[in-house]
Amino acid sequence: MIHAAPGGPTQIFLAPGLSPEAGEIQAHNLGLDRPIPEQYIKWLGNFLQGDLGKTFKNNIPVGDLLWPTVGNTMVLMGAAWLVSLLIAIPWGIYNSTREYGLSDQTASFISYLGFAMPTFWFGIILQQFFAMKLDLLPLSDMWTMGEEGNLSDLFLHLVLPVTVLSITFLAAYVKYSRASMLEVLNQDYIRTARAKGLKERKVVFRHALRNALIPIITILGLDLPILVGGAALTESVFNWPGMGRLFVEMAVSREYSVLMSITLVVSVMVVIGNLIADILYAIVDPRVQFGQGGSAS
Amino acid sequence: MSDSNLQQPVTTGNWPGTPAAPEVPAPDKRPPGPWKTAWKKFIHNPFAVVGLFILLIFILAAVFANLIAPYDPTRIDLMFANLPPGTDDHLLGTDELGRDIFSRLVHSSRISLTVGFAVAFVSVVVGTLIGAISGYFGGWIDTIFMRFVDVMYSIPSLFLNILILAIFGSDMTYMILVLAFTSWMGVARLVRGSYLQLREMQYVEAAKAIGVSSWGIIFGHLLRNASAPIIVNATLMVGGAILSESALSYLGLGVQNPDTSWGLMLSNAQEFMLIDPLQALYPGLCILIVVLAVNFIGDGIRDGLDPKKTTIPRRRLDQWRKKYSKSGT
Repeated sequence: MIHAAPGGPTQIFLAPGLSPEAGEIQAHNLGLDRPIPEQYIKWLGNFLQGDLGKTFKNNIPVGDLLWPTVGNTMVLMGAAWLVSLLIAIPWGIYNSTREYGLSDQTASFISYLGFAMPTFWFGIILQQFFAMKLDLLPLSDMWTMGEEGNLSDLFLHLVLPVTVLSITFLAAYVKYSRASMLEVLNQDYIRTARAKGLKERKVVFRHALRNALIPIITILGLDLPILVGGAALTESVFNWPGMGRLFVEMAVSREYSVLMSITLVVSVMVVIGNLIADILYAIVDPRVQFGQGGSAS
Repeated sequence: MSDSNLQQPVTTGNWPGTPAAPEVPAPDKRPPGPWKTAWKKFIHNPFAVVGLFILLIFILAAVFANLIAPYDPTRIDLMFANLPPGTDDHLLGTDELGRDIFSRLVHSSRISLTVGFAVAFVSVVVGTLIGAISGYFGGWIDTIFMRFVDVMYSIPSLFLNILILAIFGSDMTYMILVLAFTSWMGVARLVRGSYLQLREMQYVEAAKAIGVSSWGIIFGHLLRNASAPIIVNATLMVGGAILSESALSYLGLGVQNPDTSWGLMLSNAQEFMLIDPLQALYPGLCILIVVLAVNFIGDGIRDGLDPKKTTIPRRRLDQWRKKYSKSGT
């Protein structure tokens, strides 16, 4: 399941004016004259031992560049994820009980906007309004200079990027949870529950919600790559020192070892996301059991 | 239905010797086909019509950009840099190099729309081809293609786009191909699904029996029947492609100066946000409006082709239902 990007580092970057021979010597030193499969296997072996190689340009160990950004991205992503879920699922449930009401219409309006809006543009507009005009929130970056480690400072810096990230996900998740709740609410056993005289609250939360959560969890697991990818843009807009921004910067300067490492880390995260989704299935739905090949797909 | 044709008698079916069949009034007019019905529903959907109208305006602006734009979008005039909107015949002002923003917006729509439609076209062609082949033949071909689709899905497409464009350099043709390369999978899955269903149809068996080749069946017989969801998906893809194009250009990996696109204008505007905050507003609004219009059109087509959807909004239907069920009891 691990799909490392086959970024063959055959195009080396030479300072203009260097002779081809100098280029060859440099390539030999970096091991770039070896066949690509050999390079790849060597790189993979080193990766498993925790050595990610060094950047071509400044000879900085890739790990030093990469690992801090992974944490930073996780902070941003986790916050956005949490915020959008905490708002979207209750909102979706509410909308499913009051179909085509005012709140439902508002949600579908927001989702139309969310799908059609370039996220980075929304980020820029928020920056202009809240950071520059009202001067309420910091413009960009993760910490104020000299305030590293101060949590309230981090929180202030999180507000705008998290808003941007969660708007897009909010739109989709409200729709999903509403649709999946509606489907469950039309089932026979819900009618039975109502006929038994259960309170509507109990019907919705005890009987319907558990079953409606299953498709929502699937979508959450599948959406993880989009979340990581979307973070690249938001990180660039807000100058957030995360993995996505590092990827963009390194792609422009063609540091293949960094790019491959990031791709690998992202792929691992995607796999972990799917795994968590599978485990959550088993928790939500007791019918799903592990060890019975393929029942948990 | 048309009542005017009901009186026409049926003349066939009178064999000699048999008593004349009771005159069955049969309409000689065929009921409207699915496309006609879809069109009828489409033009009764206000959102879709407005979307189509807006999209047409943007397309016209893109085609006649040279006539509409008052200035050359690449003309640099540092004497008149960062003018506010409405000064000196510059409708929306000028940017940091004195280029007319309105002209740049109009010219940008060319590239943005071209990329949007081209990406949708290429990826629909590729996706349909792969989906049709793997759905019709099944077996190991299907397995290979579908695992490949899974692999493509699990990589964040933006990362892949950035990677490929960074390696091969950014050019509009490349960008179209790269964006298409990362967005054909949805169509492939969709087409495969409907081909899996359709290949069990009796007309396929009949076509096989009279010796039509597999390719003839795939493209001659099945493609028409699978086309409705493809069209809907293609429309929605245009919007997605415009968004991706703007994102890539914003990151500096898409369209390069002196060409313009809305994404590139946004990244310019962000640099000079402190001087002229309004510059960032216009290109984003253009993207928003166009993508919204395209999505409305796509929704309109989908609802039109969906036989379950009526032209009456469901909300009103529910209201009626409530009203009549109350008066009935």
